[in-house]
Amino acid sequence: MILDSRNKIKMNLLNIENLNIFFKTDKGTHPIHAVRDLSFHVNAGEMLGVVGESGSGKSITNLALLGILPETAIVKADEMFFMQQNLQGLSELNWRNIRGKEISMIFQDPMTALNPFLSVEYQLTETIFTHQNISRKEAINRAIELLTQVGIASPKERLKAYPFELSGGMAQRVMIAMAISSSPKLLIADEPTTALDVTIQKQILVLLKNLQEKNNMAVILVTHDLGLVAEYSDRIQVMYAGEKVEEGITQDIIMHPTHPYTAGLLSSRPGLSSGLPKSVLPSIHGIVPAFHERPEGCQFHPRCSFVQEDCKSSAFRNPCLHPLIQESIA
Amino acid sequence: MSILKVENLHKSYPIKKLFKETKLLNALTDINFHLDRKETLGIVGESGCGKSTLAKVLTLLEPKTSGELSLLGKKYEEYRETDFHSKIQMVFQDPYQSLNPRKKAIDIIADPLIINSQLNRQEREEKVLAMMNKVGLREDFKERYPHHFSGGQRQRLGIARALMLNPEILILDEPVSALDVSIQAQVLNLLLELQNEFSLSYLFISHDLSVIQHMSDRILVMYLGRIVEYGPRNKVFENPLHPYTKILLESAPSVNKKRESATIISGELPSALNLPKGCAFQSRCPLVKESCKQEVPKLKSVDGRSVACFEI
Amino acid sequence: MKIFFNELFTELKKNKGALIGMFVIILATIIAILAPLLAPYDPAKIFSESLRLPPSTQFLLGTDDLGRDLLSRLMYGSRISLSVGLCVVVLSLCTGTFLGVIAGFYGGFIDRLIMRLTDLIMSLPSILFAIVIVAVLGPGIMNAIIAVSIVAIPNFTRIIRAQVMVEKNKQYIYAAKLFGASNFRIMFVEILPNCMAPLIVQASLGFSDGILNCAALGFLGLGAQAPMPEWGTMLSDARSFIESSPLMVTLPGLCILVIVLSFNLLGDGLRDALDPRLKKQN
Repeated sequence: MILDSRNKIKMNLLNIENLNIFFKTDKGTHPIHAVRDLSFHVNAGEMLGVVGESGSGKSITNLALLGILPETAIVKADEMFFMQQNLQGLSELNWRNIRGKEISMIFQDPMTALNPFLSVEYQLTETIFTHQNISRKEAINRAIELLTQVGIASPKERLKAYPFELSGGMAQRVMIAMAISSSPKLLIADEPTTALDVTIQKQILVLLKNLQEKNNMAVILVTHDLGLVAEYSDRIQVMYAGEKVEEGITQDIIMHPTHPYTAGLLSSRPGLSSGLPKSVLPSIHGIVPAFHERPEGCQFHPRCSFVQEDCKSSAFRNPCLHPLIQESIA
Repeated sequence: MSILKVENLHKSYPIKKLFKETKLLNALTDINFHLDRKETLGIVGESGCGKSTLAKVLTLLEPKTSGELSLLGKKYEEYRETDFHSKIQMVFQDPYQSLNPRKKAIDIIADPLIINSQLNRQEREEKVLAMMNKVGLREDFKERYPHHFSGGQRQRLGIARALMLNPEILILDEPVSALDVSIQAQVLNLLLELQNEFSLSYLFISHDLSVIQHMSDRILVMYLGRIVEYGPRNKVFENPLHPYTKILLESAPSVNKKRESATIISGELPSALNLPKGCAFQSRCPLVKESCKQEVPKLKSVDGRSVACFEI
Repeated sequence: MKIFFNELFTELKKNKGALIGMFVIILATIIAILAPLLAPYDPAKIFSESLRLPPSTQFLLGTDDLGRDLLSRLMYGSRISLSVGLCVVVLSLCTGTFLGVIAGFYGGFIDRLIMRLTDLIMSLPSILFAIVIVAVLGPGIMNAIIAVSIVAIPNFTRIIRAQVMVEKNKQYIYAAKLFGASNFRIMFVEILPNCMAPLIVQASLGFSDGILNCAALGFLGLGAQAPMPEWGTMLSDARSFIESSPLMVTLPGLCILVIVLSFNLLGDGLRDALDPRLKKQN
C-alpha cells in the first residue's frame, strides 16, 4: 500500500495478469486472438486512460471486465482480481453482484443505450431498485439527488422526460447518473463523448473528473483521442492490435513516449504541436491489421520506422525491444 | 478573383405538423463568404450549426431559399448541369456509406466519366488507374468491392471519384472524422498534396478544431445557422474574439494544455425551432447583456476579421 | 454480384430445409423439362378400355376416369405449374419492383397514389380478388396468370419501396447526384442492386403463392381448362371419385403440396441467409 499526498489509501482495485481473449469463428479452425497477454491494473480512485484505434481490443477488454462477452468468447488469464475477488469463473449470480454495482459502464451512444419507450424516472429508479432495497418514494428522491449530482437542471421535470426529449449531452448525463447510482468503485467509460459536440464533451469529462475525485471512484476512460486522456487521466495505457504497447503516468507518456506507435500517434496529431499549418504531417504508414492478418512478432513492426530483425521474431513479447528512450522512466 | 462567392444565403425548411401552424426551421441565415483559388476555407461548428446544410446547398443537393451563389464569376443559375458538376465536387464523411457496396472500385471511380464524357472503356480505365495511383491505391485493387478496403482506403476511393472530373472546388465534409487516428494524418497529407498538384480550392467542414487549424487558410465559425466569426486562421486561432469561438477553442482537447485554466461553457444548444429573440448564443454566453436579447448582432469588421457580437 | 451469390450459397448450405427445398425444385424442373422423354405416354392419350385403374406395371400410378395415364399427366403438370409460377413471379416482380422503386424514390403524390392502389389490392383476400379479375377477363390459363400476378404485385412493391427509402438517403446516392447521374440511373443502377436480398426472398415465396393460387383457380374451373394436365384442374375433375379411386385425388394434391412447401422452405432459408440482423448473431 502506498500513501499519496492527500493521505488517501491507494491500492490495486483491479489487477489483470496476462489476459487473453479468443473468439471462436464459424470455420472453427483458428479462433481469433483478439486480446493478447494484457496485464494492467487500476488503482482505487484514479483515472486510467486507455487509448487505441479500432481493433486494438480496448472495448473487448471492457466487456470481459463486466462478464458480458458473447458466448463465442474464450477468456484466459493468469490473474483477474477486482477488490481481492477473482473474476474468473464467477457464476452469473455473483457477476450480478459486481456488474452495475461495483463496476459500472457508460457507452459511446447514450441515445441507443437508453430504452426509448421508458421514462427517465422509470429507468433510473429501476437501476436503483436492483441494488438497493428501498421504497419507491426514497428511490425517486435518490434519483433526483443523482440527477442533481450529474448537473441536470430542474431534475424533477427531467424525471418525467423520455429519452427522445433529451439532447445527447443530457442523455449521457442520465447514463452517468444510472451508472453511479450504486456508488461503484470502478466506472468504465467507453468512448463516452465520441458522439457529442466538443463543448458538451468538455462538460461531460469535467463531470466525470469531479465524480472520480469526489467519490474516490476509479474511472477507465477508453478513447481514441490522445488529447482527451492527456487532459484528464492520471495514467495512460496505449493499446495496439490487441496488445498493450505502453503504459505510464500521463505527463511521461505525452512528453516522452518510448514506443514508436505512441510517438507516431502524438506527432501525427494536427494542431499546435506539429509544426506549421498546411505542412506535411508526420504520419504512420500502413493500416491497422485486421484480426486474421495479424503479423508474427511485434504487432506494430510492419508500420514501424525503427523496425529491426528481432521485432519480427515470433518470440517477441511486449514491451518494445528498441524503445525511443533507452532508460525506463518509471 | 474569388472562385466561389456566397451572398445573403438563406435556407429554411418548413416543418409541417398536423393541426399546427407550419413553422420555418432556419438552417442557414445571412451567410456571406467567398473562397479564393488554391485556398482552404475551414468551416467549424457543432452539430446543428448548418455546416452540412451549407455543403448540400452549395452542391445543389438541396435548393437554396434565397440569396446569390456564384462560381467563377458566373451565377449558379447560368450553368448547364454538366458544367456545374465538373466544377464543384464533394468528399463525404462516412467512407462506409458513401460508396455503393455493390460496385467494384474501378466502376465507382469511373462512374463520373461514364456519365459526363464520351471516352471508351479503355480510355476510362487508363484515367481511373492514373487517378488510383495519385491517391495512393494500388492498381490491383481495381476489381475489389468497397468492403474489402479499410476506412482510409475507402476515403481515398471517395477522393479519387470526386477528382475524376477535374473540379475547381472540393467540398470536404468531415473527411477524416470517421477514420482511425493513425490514418487521419495520411489522408490529410494526401489532401494537401492534391491541393498543390491540381490547384484545388477546399471548403473544409469539420468539428475537429485541430484538423481545421492545420488545413485552413481562413476560418468560418458557425453557430445555429449563422456566421459568428470569419477571418484568417491566425487571427481566429490566436486571438478569438467571439465568446463562442473562445469557448470552442478552449473545449478542444489537446495534448499540451492545462485543464485547470479553461472555463466550461454551460447549457446546451437551443432547439433551432424555438430560437430565442436576439442573439442565438445568449443562453450560453458568459458576456450576455440585455441588448443581446433584443436584437441579432450583425457581422462587423474587427481586427482583420468579422465578428457578430455586441460586446466586441 | 458474384461474391454476393457465393456468400449466399455458403449461408444457405447450413440450412437443411432450404437444401431439401432446393433439391426438390431442381428435381421438379428436370422432370418438367424432360417430360416428353420421361413420361411413358402422351398425357392426352385415352385408353378407353382402362378407366380408373389402380397402379400396375403398365400404368405405374394408374389411370384417370377417361383412361389417361396419371403419371404422364402429373409429369406434364409440373411443366404447367412451374411455368405458371415463373410467369407469375416475372410479371409481378417486374411490375411490383418498378412501382416500388418509383414510389420510394419520388415520394409525395406518386408514392401515395401507388401505395393506395396496393392497399386496395391487399384489402381483399388474394384468391377472392383473383377470382374477381378472372371473372372479368374470362376463364383460361393466361387470364389466371394475369390475375394471380396482379394480386402478387403489392408484396414486391412494399418491400422494394421500404428498401429504396433507406438506400436513397445514403451518401453514395448524393455522390451519384453530384456527378450528374440521372434519376433513372440512380434508381435502377445505383439503388436497385442494393435491394436484391429481400427481392430474392420474396421471389421465392411468390413462386409458391403463384402456383398455389393458379391451382386454386384451376380447381374452381377458372384457370386451366379441361384437357390440360394442370394439377388444380386434375384435382377438381377427380374429386367425385375420391372414394372409389383415392389416388386420383391424392397425387395431384400431393404434388401441389410438395412443390409449394419446397419453395417456402427455400424462401425461408434465403431470408435467414440474407437477413443481416440474423447474420450478425452467428
